[in-house]
Amino acid sequence: MTHKLSDGGQVLHVGMLARVEGEGGMHIEIHNNVVKSVKLNIFEPPRFYEAFLRGRKYTEPPDITARICGICPVAYQTASCEAIEQICGVETTPAIQAMRRLLYCGEWIESHSLHIFMLHAPDFLGFDSVIEMAADYGEVVEMALRLKKSGNDLMTLVGGRAIHPVNVKVGGFYRMPTKAQMLALRPALARGVEEAFETIKLVATFDFPEMEQPYEYVALHHPDYYAIERGTVVSTSGAGFPVREFPEHVNEFHVEHSNALHATFDGGMYMVGPLARYSLNFSQLSERCKAAAIAAGLGETCRNPFKSIIVRAVELAYAFEEAVRIIDEWKDGAAPSVPVTPKAGEGFGASEAPRGTIFHRYVLDADGVIQDAQIVPPTSQNQPAIEADLRKAAQSWVDLDDHDLTHRCEHAIRNYDPCISCATHFLDLRVDRS
Amino acid sequence: MIREVASGTEPLVVGLGSPDRGDDGVGPTVASAIADLGLSGVRVAVHEDPTDLVHLWGRAELAVVIDAVMSGRAAGELVLCEVGWGQGPLPESCWAKTGRGGTHAFGLAAAVELSRALGHLPRRVVLVGVEAASFDHGAPLSPAVQSAVEAAVAEVRAVLAEAPVGSDA
Repeated sequence: MTHKLSDGGQVLHVGMLARVEGEGGMHIEIHNNVVKSVKLNIFEPPRFYEAFLRGRKYTEPPDITARICGICPVAYQTASCEAIEQICGVETTPAIQAMRRLLYCGEWIESHSLHIFMLHAPDFLGFDSVIEMAADYGEVVEMALRLKKSGNDLMTLVGGRAIHPVNVKVGGFYRMPTKAQMLALRPALARGVEEAFETIKLVATFDFPEMEQPYEYVALHHPDYYAIERGTVVSTSGAGFPVREFPEHVNEFHVEHSNALHATFDGGMYMVGPLARYSLNFSQLSERCKAAAIAAGLGETCRNPFKSIIVRAVELAYAFEEAVRIIDEWKDGAAPSVPVTPKAGEGFGASEAPRGTIFHRYVLDADGVIQDAQIVPPTSQNQPAIEADLRKAAQSWVDLDDHDLTHRCEHAIRNYDPCISCATHFLDLRVDRS
Repeated sequence: MIREVASGTEPLVVGLGSPDRGDDGVGPTVASAIADLGLSGVRVAVHEDPTDLVHLWGRAELAVVIDAVMSGRAAGELVLCEVGWGQGPLPESCWAKTGRGGTHAFGLAAAVELSRALGHLPRRVVLVGVEAASFDHGAPLSPAVQSAVEAAVAEVRAVLAEAPVGSDA
């Protein structure tokens, strides 16, 4: 909806920004073709969950926090388990870690295939939605649904549910799937590997706006593999520290125009997510993934937020490869969990949600009752970077008409696959011109 | 006990929703009741993710989907809608927000239209919506919705009775 202001300016109002999850709004002010202000207004539910967690038992965070998000519940479960287990002095077994990684692969497959094809590809191909896209790209959408289904099936087998897993507990799992059950999924996963590599080739053919951003990248790093379910924190400025030091580097603060806390890393703007992971851990991808990424035109570092769709495709292929590897190496008979006895203390956990690093901190008393909880989700951390991208994008294309400019701005937001809210709400986009 | 058999032309009944999120569990509850009837040649399934429907339809000629809705009606009120061949799209204000919620969640309305675009939509799709009161985590069905289960089951049975069960028609 477009209308004129009494001072001669112009207001463009988009009532619903689709293909982004969240609650809030965005306001862009343009005066004399100069972008003066960009504000992303968000109402973020995790703060509510933090209060909700206080007074609950130490065994409850995996189930409670999984409900924060329908598309990245494993990220919450894994980080909360890590934190609680750290307090209780428990180290899980390699088999439990492998199963956590397999479950996490299911989440990455679900989330990345959804975002690449259903939410992001329509931006590049000139469609308003994947439904419109299906008319011209039916085979591609069929492939997308197959890929996503593989993720759903993996989540269902390992997690007990496709959306909010119920098989995760502090210390491990309630039960382990059998090798035979996992092998039943293997053919679809093996096909998924090949189709994910086809996806990389496909998205590499899209037209990408020329835009590079110099943000500090922050991600987890593990010495043995591409970090997903655990690791230490690293950054492009050379920082490297255990997760327990996360609060010393990341400062959350309130801004007037958003209910979600913004964050700085060592005092500056930063980005978490696929671009950060890829750029910081490129050498740990499989040889095939590395080769496909280079062939797709990515360097070992990617600074163009619009190319995040290629990076997600690379990570999609990697997640499929990892799922197959874990299944092939799996041996039945491992204990599903280790016993966890509550202790008083403070613990820290982090994992790589599909859209970036998520951090959890808990304080328990001697009875295992939660005294304090802190959750720092990736989209919250990325808010300043999203606003900076929007400012740059809006200024770069300020001469476009409102319709096209709005589309570019929406596209710039979707580069981040933002998971602003887990409730049923939409982002309201508004551009004011004068 | 829910059973899923190989996808064929037999009628399909799908309970959509999460069984432990308040009234979102009404779809699975009704589907379980239908499964317990042991109707011959009827495929019954429970799913949380509406995108699963695109593949789940299989070659079914008739599908009945039970889901919680929020449309401003009284809790427990039934809303029936047909979206098969020749029918218009679902009103997204009602159906797209059901189930998981959120725009990341591919809503039922989007799943139906994507199925239509891909040529997967069954000839006849009947949606049985049950107006929900609450989606609280871990909560059971609200009293109003619980009391509507029997009527919803009857609606599903009535729809199934209209078609020759297990036929290729």
